[in-house]
Amino acid sequence: MKLGPKAAAAAIVLSASLALTACGGGAGAGSNAGGGTAVTALTLGTLRDITSWDPAQAHVGHALQPYQAAYDSLILREPDGKLSPMLATAWKYNETNTKLTVDLRTDVTFSDGAKFDATAAKANLDHFKKANGPQMAQLSSVSDIAVVDEDTIDINLSAAEPALEYFLSQAAGLMGSPAALGTDGIKTVPVGSGPYVMDKAASVKDSQTVFTAREGYWNKDLQKYKKLTLKILIDPTARTNALVSGQIDATLLDPKNGKQAEGAKMKLETNQVDWSGLLLLDRDGAKNPALANVKVRQAINYAFDRKTILEQVMLGQGTPTSQPFGKDSGAWTEELENYYSYDPTKAKQLLKESGFEGKVTIDVPTLPGAETLISVLQQQLADVGITLKPGAAITNTFTADVAAQKYHALFFNLFQGEPTVAIDQIVSTKALYNPFKNTTPELEAKIAAVRAGGQDAGTLAQEVNKYVVEQAWFAPLFRVNQMYYHNDKVNVTPQAQQAVPSIYNYSPAK
Amino acid sequence: MIKFIAKRLGSGLVVLFVVSALTFTLLYTSSGSIARNILGDQATPEQVALKEQELGLDQPLVTRYFAWLGDAVSGNLGASWFTSEPVANSLATRIPVTMTMVFTAMILIAICAALIGVAAAVKRGWVDRVVQIGAIVGDSIPGYVIGVFLVTILAIQLGLFPATSTISPEVGPEAWVYSMTLPVIALLINGVTGGAQQIRSAVIKQLERDYVRTLRSRGIGEREILFKHVLRSAAPAGLTVLSLQLIGMLGGVVIIEQIFALPGMGPLAVTATGQSDLPVVMGVVMYTVVVVIVVNLLVDILNGWLNPKVRVS
Repeated sequence: MKLGPKAAAAAIVLSASLALTACGGGAGAGSNAGGGTAVTALTLGTLRDITSWDPAQAHVGHALQPYQAAYDSLILREPDGKLSPMLATAWKYNETNTKLTVDLRTDVTFSDGAKFDATAAKANLDHFKKANGPQMAQLSSVSDIAVVDEDTIDINLSAAEPALEYFLSQAAGLMGSPAALGTDGIKTVPVGSGPYVMDKAASVKDSQTVFTAREGYWNKDLQKYKKLTLKILIDPTARTNALVSGQIDATLLDPKNGKQAEGAKMKLETNQVDWSGLLLLDRDGAKNPALANVKVRQAINYAFDRKTILEQVMLGQGTPTSQPFGKDSGAWTEELENYYSYDPTKAKQLLKESGFEGKVTIDVPTLPGAETLISVLQQQLADVGITLKPGAAITNTFTADVAAQKYHALFFNLFQGEPTVAIDQIVSTKALYNPFKNTTPELEAKIAAVRAGGQDAGTLAQEVNKYVVEQAWFAPLFRVNQMYYHNDKVNVTPQAQQAVPSIYNYSPAK
Repeated sequence: MIKFIAKRLGSGLVVLFVVSALTFTLLYTSSGSIARNILGDQATPEQVALKEQELGLDQPLVTRYFAWLGDAVSGNLGASWFTSEPVANSLATRIPVTMTMVFTAMILIAICAALIGVAAAVKRGWVDRVVQIGAIVGDSIPGYVIGVFLVTILAIQLGLFPATSTISPEVGPEAWVYSMTLPVIALLINGVTGGAQQIRSAVIKQLERDYVRTLRSRGIGEREILFKHVLRSAAPAGLTVLSLQLIGMLGGVVIIEQIFALPGMGPLAVTATGQSDLPVVMGVVMYTVVVVIVVNLLVDILNGWLNPKVRVS
């Protein structure tokens, strides 16, 4: 061959340099890499894009934050959970808690120029009730909305709903322009009265949503940036890389990725939103007779060394607990926190008394990402003579499977909401996570008291909490820390019961 | 040649139809209550029933398939059940991102792999050994590991490239170049090492054939033998390897796009599959099948052009 070593080497060098230069573009990429580094711009890494900008399709937690940029809600929920005026200036229940009279602001317009008034508020609430959005249940107790005068509405209820004011600070309270409600346009471009307006030309579905500050917004205190970008980063590794390289200012991470963020001097805000543990669903023993015995359920609770599991598996990110109700809910009590301390001897004793000694087998589906945790639970239950059998991983038919009584027990992470929200999620007979519709007259009475309790709903829900803990309806392990990281250019205040703060909780660091 | 292409296109359409019918049936029969997934865990049974009716899930499977097929033929792939965005729109914004990345990587792989493979085959000795070792090392490191490594060094520590995509309508083409560089490198390293190895074998095989000896004995120069005869005969093997790599890359690119947060087909496929957003999943599957059919067709045409023997057979 006539190709000498030089030519061969040149071929390799040429191909390598082609690979690097042809696609390398040029130098100076860093100048374009940053997004939200200016003081007047905020760039947040979010977990997924929203499905529709129709306010009736809004969800909770991190799926509520984008809507808050474009829409005001009737009531503002402060970081500590306190409810304050927003589009509603004042609100008051009648004596039976079945009619909420709401006074409205008169100086607010929507981004399409339409005026916000009582008719607009009624149109939104009516739309929310029939739009079949994921949070439609928030207004299920509302029978009708009446316009009293230009700036007052009456929300009439078929039954008292202590969480209604809270709901009006959430999805149900978001107000869109009445002219846009129900149109196709509002699905892709929000039309609200909020602090920011969407820059449609700069936004790309599932990639980023860009907002600019709305001119003449009525509440400058809630509008702290000129530009807001929500960068959709599904993968936690991508979120971590974007944060530590300065592309985004703040995002939600997990304990593993959090280590990398901490190494890059990012600041951490922790907040407890979910509880993690077993849901012993078949409490009447329809499919698993052992679970009908309260002593068996209590034995399961005594079998877990929650503190050690938390330290070893969750890197200490959480707080051990025996109660399913959250600390901010009002239903939480100190005495229930460590109701079931680690006591394998007592667990064995209870199993013996129950007559199910050596005969308890619990099947649970595998929750992706929780395999290690489930295998630790399996080991600790085996130590007291209970068999835990993890089955196939849950799939996208999970909620339908739960409703269809496919599982008699579950390991899961669940949101800790307001008392009636939590009750209708895990306790009442209409709760998805009570698929076997377990109840007793005693429990029904306690739930009814909460519903009619008005301002005392939280305290009354302590009784429901106590009942389900004593009856061991669940085997809670711990409240999990949500780990929200941000750089030093932004101050972030965590929001009670939300993994991701409300949009108002960010401000430029001085 | 036209008959050959027409025949290939015809069989491609049959494949498309069969795959669409099979995918549709599998997806629709195995995905349970989609309506409840869309509405979330607070939904009441009445809400779920209403949603099922909205989505037409109360219709028989065959009716739904032919309704979908009829729309699909006219270019309407339906709309996402979760976002109401037309599937054709979703694909139109994402295919350019994925295809730019895949084809840039492929062109570079073709050039680099051919140069390295031919050099190894012709030169043998130390060059060949380096290529062989490189192939083993390159094949044993998955693209996503290379991706994470590149991000850590070049984006986070040195700040030369963005860690995640900056592609958006408000930035110019240079953002595309910056955002694509690391993902393309992550994609092409496996391809170059694997491709070079295959091309090397194909060229060596040709160099050992009798006709090369005959050409040499007639005094024809090595350069002419290599470029006029050997490479032409070795090309089909190389092209087949490259086409297989391209098809394989459609899978690999899903993970790479996730790591670099590129708004391509990968995140769309992952999200839609996880949610059982069936119209979108069907759109993604159709896109994949069409790419595979087109790539195979192009390879066949190129092979026929390079080597008339293939055309005849």
